Formats: sequence, C-alpha cells, structure tokens
Amino acid sequence: MKLLSLMRRRRALLNCAPIRADQSVERSMRAAISRVDGSADFISQQNFDRAVARVVRLIPIPAESAEWFSEKDLVPASQGTWKKMMRNPAVLAISIAVAVIAGVFVFNFLSHLNDFPASATARKLLGTAASTRPVMLDPVNAEAGTLSDLFFMKHGLEHYDVPAEFADFGTIGCRVFEDDESRRIAQIWVAEKHMQFFLFPAERDGKTGAVLRFPGWRYVHQEGWTGAVTEHSGVCFMAAIRGRDKDLEPYIARSKE
Amino acid sequence: MLGDSRKAQEVFHATLREAAQRAAHGELPSEPFWLFREARWRCLEATKNDLQPEAVEIDEHDLGVAAASQIERLDPAQLAIWISAAPDPQRSALALFYLDEFDYRDILDLAELKLNELSRLLARGRRQLQAWLDAKFPQPDQA
Repeated sequence: MKLLSLMRRRRALLNCAPIRADQSVERSMRAAISRVDGSADFISQQNFDRAVARVVRLIPIPAESAEWFSEKDLVPASQGTWKKMMRNPAVLAISIAVAVIAGVFVFNFLSHLNDFPASATARKLLGTAASTRPVMLDPVNAEAGTLSDLFFMKHGLEHYDVPAEFADFGTIGCRVFEDDESRRIAQIWVAEKHMQFFLFPAERDGKTGAVLRFPGWRYVHQEGWTGAVTEHSGVCFMAAIRGRDKDLEPYIARSKE
Repeated sequence: MLGDSRKAQEVFHATLREAAQRAAHGELPSEPFWLFREARWRCLEATKNDLQPEAVEIDEHDLGVAAASQIERLDPAQLAIWISAAPDPQRSALALFYLDEFDYRDILDLAELKLNELSRLLARGRRQLQAWLDAKFPQPDQA
C-alpha cells in the first residue's frame, strides 16, 4: 500500500513538473523527475508544456496593464529563495553553530559583567559554604563582631572584622583554614538564616602588591548560593546565604539607613 | 483566466486599487501571494454571471509527437480563450501553471488545491488541449 501511494505521489508530482529545466525544485520533485528523466512520456509532456508556455507568453496584455509589470518578475524571488536557503541543511547547521557560539559568548559576557576583584575567590568560597557541615567548625557561641579578637589573638589575622551590618548575629561555630592558594580564610556560621560569613585577603595587584579595592557591596552567585562581598583594610568579608540577592538585601539596606 | 482583455484589465485595476488602499491603511497581508489570490477570486467573481460552458464530455487524446508544432500554429488569443473556457478549478490550474511563474506548491496554495487534484487537472487539461489541437490542426495520419 505504501509503495502504491508513493508511486501515485510520484506520478502526481510529474504531472506538475516545472516547465523550465532551470527552475529550482524541492527534493521530492527532483527525485520524481530523476526517476523518469529521459522517458518518452515525460519528454513529450515537457515539450508540450514548453510549447504552451511559449504561446501563453505571447497572449496580448492590454498596454495600460502591461506598463505596471515593465521588466520586473511577477513573483518576487527573494522570499522563496530566502526560505529555501534557510531550509538548506548546511545553512541550518551553520546557523545553529553560530547561534550556540554567540550564546556562549553572551553567557560568558553576562557572567563576568558584574565581576570585581576577589569575585573568583568569593565564588569558590560559596562552593565551600555549600559543602560545609556544622561539625566541621569549632563551636562558638558569641556575637559575630567579637570574633575579630579571636582571629587576631589565636591566628594572628589582622583586620578580620565582621562589618557592623552583621556584627550582632549570634554564632554557632567558626574555623580558620587555608585555601588552595595558601590564603587563610576565616569562616563563621551564624544562627540567622544559617548564613555563613567568610573573611579572606583581598586581591592584590600582581606588580605593585597594592590592594585592589572596590566600593560598597557586590553580589556573587554559585550553585544556588548568594554572597554579598565588601572590602575593608585589605580584607574581604562575604555574607553567604542559600538563596538570592533579595535575601541579603535587607541586611545591607539596614546599614545604609 | 477571463479570455477577455477588457474584463482582465478591470480585474487588474480593481486588485491594484484594493492593494493601494490596504497599503495606505498599513493592512497589506504578509502572505506572499495574496495579490494573486485576490486577483483569482475577482476573476471568478467576474465570470460568475457570464454564460457558463455546458458540462459536456470533452475529447481527450494522448499527447502527440507533433504537439509542439501544432501549438506553435495556435493564435495566443485563441489559447487564452480555450483556457478561460475551462471550468474552475481547472481554469485556475492551467492559467497559473502555464504562466510559468509559480512553483507547483505555490499553485496548490493559490488555487487551494491538493497535489493529486492539481495533477489530475493538468493531466486532463493537456489531453483535452491535445484533442482540440488535433481537431483544429489535423495531422496527416489522423486526416
């Protein structure tokens, strides 16, 4: 049945075969023509159609109407050509590839649009925050702001101060560890919304050694975590929370007031 | 489509007027062949009240080897009248096909036909035209 219907379709296509040999045709028509190309019936049909079309072209058109057409084609070719070009598998594949590359560029551009010195470290620490369990920290029950003395006295870390916005939060635990670049990081876990604070050395200029400062608070995001980062006296502070910017904004807005 | 240049001109101008009015109102349809579709409907409207050809069985002949030379002897105006005398949708199919400006898919779209319908109409049209040519310009072996 399928073969029969295929043959009927081919026969139907051949009856509608284009008159001009140079006319572009779609694949099924091309296939149907190639199967019978050279057959007496098809040649006879093509000769017949061409002869009729030649006479049709001679049918007189009233002069008043003819001037509207002048030398232009009846059908604008650009639309069909454009559609056909877009359907070409090679053009389609190249378009998709270009779109993907452009997408990657845009994604990278947007990802780094809000970058700031220390944003890379901050993102890594958000990963640390996501994997930290309370048992990994030394239990400390105090106000976060008081831990700067502990960091200085016990670990010799200067200016590891929790900003005023977060200083009065009660802590659950803290620790000091070294990251993969041997920088000493202080981590504090507070009871408030299970936030974690990180204090770490600010980025420095590779040549001059000067601290790369940035004003105010900056946000970073990683794996569903959000961090609000600020820099003071060469030390960065990051408040990290599982959530979005709006979860941290009230605390930072409070300091501005 | 009409076999009458005066009527054809009226339809042509009416279609252009419609296009100009739509353009002025920013309402030109985006579909590519709307102007031709519009013109076709106007042609069908124009002939609706004319004398209609009798529904008679028209002779059909296989395409002959001398068909091309027979066609060359045809007066173009006669061919136009022969096509315009065909009942629609055969008339639309033949007119659009032999205008040689449209892809067969365009014709399907314009004349609102299915592929097998267009195929049947064209095949029958060729055979009928051949029969007419044979009657008009008999070949020596037929004579």
